Amino acid sequence: MLQAIDTRELIALDGLGGPIRGTFHRPHARIWSPQAARNARIPGILFLNSLSLPRAATGDSAVHWADSCAERGYPSFRLDLPGLGDSTGDITIDLLDFINSGGYKSTVAANVDELVERMGLAGVVIVGHCAGSVSALYAAAASKQCKGLILMEPYFHLPQMIRPPVRRKLSEWARSSKIGGAASDIYDRWRNLLLQLRRERLPGNANFQLMSSWKRVAISGMPILMLKAPGLKTAGTKSRVGQFDYLQYVTKLAGSRSQVTIQLIEGTDHSFANRVGRTAVREQIGSWLDKYFPLSGSEESAKAAVQATRARDERSDSLKTQIVSTRLGCGAEGRSI
Amino acid sequence: MQGIQFANQLPEHAGYFEVPGAHLYTVLHEVEDPITRVLLVGPFASQRHNSYLPWVRWARFLAANKIEVLRYDYRGIGESTGVFDEMNFEDWSSDVQLLSSWLEARSPHVPLLLHGLELGAIFAGRAFHSGIAGGLLLWSAPADANKALRSALMRWVSLEQIFKCAAERRTASDYMRELESGSPQEVEGYLWSTRLWQESFHVSLPAGLATEERAASEYQRPVRIVKLAKDAVPLANGGTPAHDEFKDFTWLFAPNMEWILENISASSKKVTYASSH
Repeated sequence: MLQAIDTRELIALDGLGGPIRGTFHRPHARIWSPQAARNARIPGILFLNSLSLPRAATGDSAVHWADSCAERGYPSFRLDLPGLGDSTGDITIDLLDFINSGGYKSTVAANVDELVERMGLAGVVIVGHCAGSVSALYAAAASKQCKGLILMEPYFHLPQMIRPPVRRKLSEWARSSKIGGAASDIYDRWRNLLLQLRRERLPGNANFQLMSSWKRVAISGMPILMLKAPGLKTAGTKSRVGQFDYLQYVTKLAGSRSQVTIQLIEGTDHSFANRVGRTAVREQIGSWLDKYFPLSGSEESAKAAVQATRARDERSDSLKTQIVSTRLGCGAEGRSI
Repeated sequence: MQGIQFANQLPEHAGYFEVPGAHLYTVLHEVEDPITRVLLVGPFASQRHNSYLPWVRWARFLAANKIEVLRYDYRGIGESTGVFDEMNFEDWSSDVQLLSSWLEARSPHVPLLLHGLELGAIFAGRAFHSGIAGGLLLWSAPADANKALRSALMRWVSLEQIFKCAAERRTASDYMRELESGSPQEVEGYLWSTRLWQESFHVSLPAGLATEERAASEYQRPVRIVKLAKDAVPLANGGTPAHDEFKDFTWLFAPNMEWILENISASSKKVTYASSH
């Protein structure tokens, strides 16, 4: 058995309850070593678990994105946080509450520090999807070594892990019948009216602790990329009628010095795991990294690597006409909270 | 290889195992002087992600009871390298054979058991049929690979429908029709080709493994066949991940481990099939 192959290496970081297991995607565009990274001031990219998924994520999409970041020249890492994937640790049904209250904050911050130290990185950009984006945001506020954030489908409220059966049935009825759809519209308008009365006050189930971390990080001017998937009964990045527009709220909260970019990825679902989604995410992350964390010295080799990726994708382009038919036009997610 | 051992934990070695055209991601749950070794042949593609936590806990449960375990990801899936849509059932069957040989060679006098779950049960069953391993444990073995694919597809469609308007919903039949007409379909991030779909009809569990009684007479080696019900979600297909993967599976793990110890351990005198019922 090998610990490392051409492009990847299996790593273990320190954790309180045992080793934190992960995969290191070596940058393709340069001969990599911690010393070379120190000299070139290269940031690393760290991908966190999405709720309870193993570090490969839905359809191995995180593997794809980490590979593509490495191809661009960024050392990239995917970790299994304690109790998830291959890492040991106790987790329970309260995992979502644990994450939403910042349960992984100190672990992720410590992992970031260790990666910076061991790998000679000029800081780390943390990537989180769904519940992973919550841990990423908390950790960014806690670690001086976090230099950027990529939040995919972030949420700023406190969702329920398990929705009551009655609510699930009502939602199903609303989606599948005309009367249900009409009732849903009326309900949305009623909630919208209540929202108007509340003006810009946060709803009672807002995650105030997370909001505070957001404020600290965003006001500091840390580059933040937020990626949104199309939602049910919404257009663009706007929230559904009757639902509080958290994105608009946090953008205002970030202030004028902030560097927050919000992008909508069309033709995908909550996981971004289909071909359309994963390709768009890869391109968005690539452009954003080029803008805020440009690499110096090896542009030619990095470009060659990117071209190689594009050539590989062109091979699958012939499939796109069929794939388009499977896209989630109003889907919110493949799996989640 | 990572080999860090902590005070109250057994060492788990993650590594890459080279196979033609790819590297398999493996985790060896190492045990000193094991009484048995088990190769876990896990669930397929999206099912891997949904059942990962209890599957890893099962490996740890066995290791804590002196049973050495090797688990792995199929070629082109999870942490293993290779392109999923370029792989076929022969490649995935070959993974079982190659890893069985590696595990057996670590200590030839210690018996080897193959344990397969869902599609993995077919791969494990076929390897066992060809003479590999001293025992076989099957959980939720489908009759053929197509049934495993259908089951994964049904789950995906039901998930997808939760978040789609009625007008945009596609049924499992829609997907199957597209696959049969030559159009690849994405299922939870994996691109299923028509070739994969068509080949799946021909990859079946050996007839001798249809029942424990038949296996007993045919193979003369211990075989246990367990059909997992809804209470075993997400190890059994179905349910909603994140709701079920934290529950306690001791009720499932303990009797299966006991069966392994009674029938396939190095100290066991049983060389022929012994039913646990």
